[in-house]
Amino acid sequence: MNKIVQIAQREFLATVLTKGFLIGILAVPVLTFAMILILPLLINQKTPKISGEIAILDRSGVLFERVAPQLTADAFAQRRRASEERLHAIMPAAVRELAQSPAAESAVQQGLQQALGEAPELQLVLIDTAADIEAEKRALLDGPRLVLVVVHANAVQQDPALPASAELGSYDLFVRAKLDDRLLDQLRDALKLALVDARLAARQIDAAQIRSLTRTPFVAPLVIDADGERRSNEAFNRVLPILFMALILATVMTAGQQLMTSTIEEKSSRVVEVLLAAVSPTELMAGKILGQLGVASLLIGLYGGLGLLALISFSLVGLVDPWMLLYLPIFFLIAFVVLASLMAAIGAAVNELREAQALLTPVILVVTLPMMLWLPISRDPNSMLATVLSLTPPVNPFVMILRLSSNTPPPLWQVWLSIAIGIGSMFAAIWFAGKVFRIGLLMHGKPPNLMTLARWVRQA
Amino acid sequence: MSPAITLSALNKSFGSKRAVIDLDLQVPRGALYGIIGPNGAGKSTSLRMILSILFPDSGRIGVLGEDSALKAKDRIGYLPEERGVYRKMRIADFLLHMAVLKSVPRATARARVREWLERVGLPEVANKRAEELSKGMQQKIQFIAAVIHQPELLILDEPFSGLDPVNMRLLRDLIVAEHQRGTTILFSTHVMQQAEQLCQHIVMIHDGRKVLDDTLATIQSRHAPRSLRFLPLDPQADVAAALQPLPGITNISQVDGNWQIGLDPAANPAALVQSVAAALAPARLELLRPNLEDIFIGIVHGSHSAAEQTAA
Repeated sequence: MNKIVQIAQREFLATVLTKGFLIGILAVPVLTFAMILILPLLINQKTPKISGEIAILDRSGVLFERVAPQLTADAFAQRRRASEERLHAIMPAAVRELAQSPAAESAVQQGLQQALGEAPELQLVLIDTAADIEAEKRALLDGPRLVLVVVHANAVQQDPALPASAELGSYDLFVRAKLDDRLLDQLRDALKLALVDARLAARQIDAAQIRSLTRTPFVAPLVIDADGERRSNEAFNRVLPILFMALILATVMTAGQQLMTSTIEEKSSRVVEVLLAAVSPTELMAGKILGQLGVASLLIGLYGGLGLLALISFSLVGLVDPWMLLYLPIFFLIAFVVLASLMAAIGAAVNELREAQALLTPVILVVTLPMMLWLPISRDPNSMLATVLSLTPPVNPFVMILRLSSNTPPPLWQVWLSIAIGIGSMFAAIWFAGKVFRIGLLMHGKPPNLMTLARWVRQA
Repeated sequence: MSPAITLSALNKSFGSKRAVIDLDLQVPRGALYGIIGPNGAGKSTSLRMILSILFPDSGRIGVLGEDSALKAKDRIGYLPEERGVYRKMRIADFLLHMAVLKSVPRATARARVREWLERVGLPEVANKRAEELSKGMQQKIQFIAAVIHQPELLILDEPFSGLDPVNMRLLRDLIVAEHQRGTTILFSTHVMQQAEQLCQHIVMIHDGRKVLDDTLATIQSRHAPRSLRFLPLDPQADVAAALQPLPGITNISQVDGNWQIGLDPAANPAALVQSVAAALAPARLELLRPNLEDIFIGIVHGSHSAAEQTAA
């Protein structure tokens, strides 16, 4: 046992006390914070101001006067403010509180100012209905004209020649080749509003009253549970499962890759023969896996701890099921041992890192499968797909964590069945890796394929 | 006391290649044995099986009174043919790691690391990384790693390969010192002079089979002299004309200023010495016994000839 601990200690220190690892371990939180700080600055950067002409050929005769007020700088700013309010409503409560702090509020104000400043400077030109439409279109090729809107004659009032039930007309849009998408969206919004108002007015209906009657705010649900009632955090609930799974996947993959690299290094530098004269292959593998388990635990402790601190500071910690604190280490351990054993076997089988690629690709593909199926699994955590995958090694720890952290966790028997299958897969992986490890470590020459590995397992 | 190593009918194959065939061997405690043989003869495979790094397909192994080296790993030292160190690890840490893996208490191991580094003249490298050391230095470090736990049995696979003459002599002295301490030593080499200089007992392996297993003196005495070295008293004498007619002489040639006289294997060497001296007064007359290399080449060629005859 002392020998296993000695090997584990060397493996842990040789991994952790390298500049690359220390830089890597700090890079994730530093980059995350940098993204949080820098991204809004980049997003708030003023984009080039749009200026030009919008030509409207109004065959209805009533739309132009209603569109013009919708395309002023004030109208643009007002529509943006409305969008922000909708966003505000779906924010988690803690984030909303943060956004209402004086510092954040001034940032919001600044953002609005910028939004106002960015409003396009547009000249509206009314074109005579008798004008040559083809000539007007050609104006888009050269000159200040950005858009040509041709409003149908029956856009507001139905053509008397047609039956009353026939659909009303609308408008055609002709634009220049390169046009900012946001302007197009804004223009559509403005035209829609103007068109609806004009149609209502033509029928002597008060548009303002209709708007007021049809306006409903975005309603955030209140969750009633044993502790009383609390606001639901839909956005947070949606990302929590993937965060848990990513935490396990990232730490297990990092330590697994380190294990594979260090095994390849020991094999290629021939130090492995000296080690095998002192310890058995099983002791060597056990020590190395134990050492990298220390590395993975350090990573999950660090990142998980940072995440927990963030949850506490945003008062969101109550959203995490306390049972997760039990299940997370269990599934982390299962995922780590299975993956680390496979990585150790691959490291022992090949002569250099380049050769590992062929054997590594299937492992990576299988392990990242839950990441690719995240959406269907988290939309319906108790679907057949989710249930089967959460009981199928080696992806069962990742999928079960996804299901456990969802809004509709799986039944308890499935969780414990997955744990039992996971423990079985741990032993199977160790058994397989032990056989490959024993034969592969002293094999040099042509790198093996999966068939060769199977033969080694039979031989050992 | 049981022998240090006992091998009985050991066999090992890699695919269709039979690396070791029915190997029997007994190495007594305190002996210094050399395993010789050409490259690919099966020496390293045999040593790895003794160490339980590889496992035999059939046969039995006894090491230091145990039925497997796995039970006696801490009492065995091993220097593999392919030297390996952790390139980024500091030398003192590497030696300490190896000593602890051989169950030496940490404090004792630290003291031994210092002692050994001074003994091989490298006290300044303790805090250097292995990648900063020359190949010769790395080999010394490897040797320390093999003996730092004061093993009862020391197995060295081609210990002198790649060493310059100065380091070769240092390593030879260290091996002799370990032997004098009472350690049983088994080492392999394909350089016959090294085996002749160091070993009391020689085992020769060829094509996976043991073809020789005896003391050096017995091997040499068993192989009859095949030639005489002769220098006439009269430098002007016509040696070839005077000696060629003598019965039992096969050929005469000049080698490095001396005359080398080939003897018929059926002839009596003592009688031939007398008749040569009577035919031409010698300034020097020496019966040349075959060295290990001659014996080795004779065996290898003999087996090839036998194989060719069988094939024919």
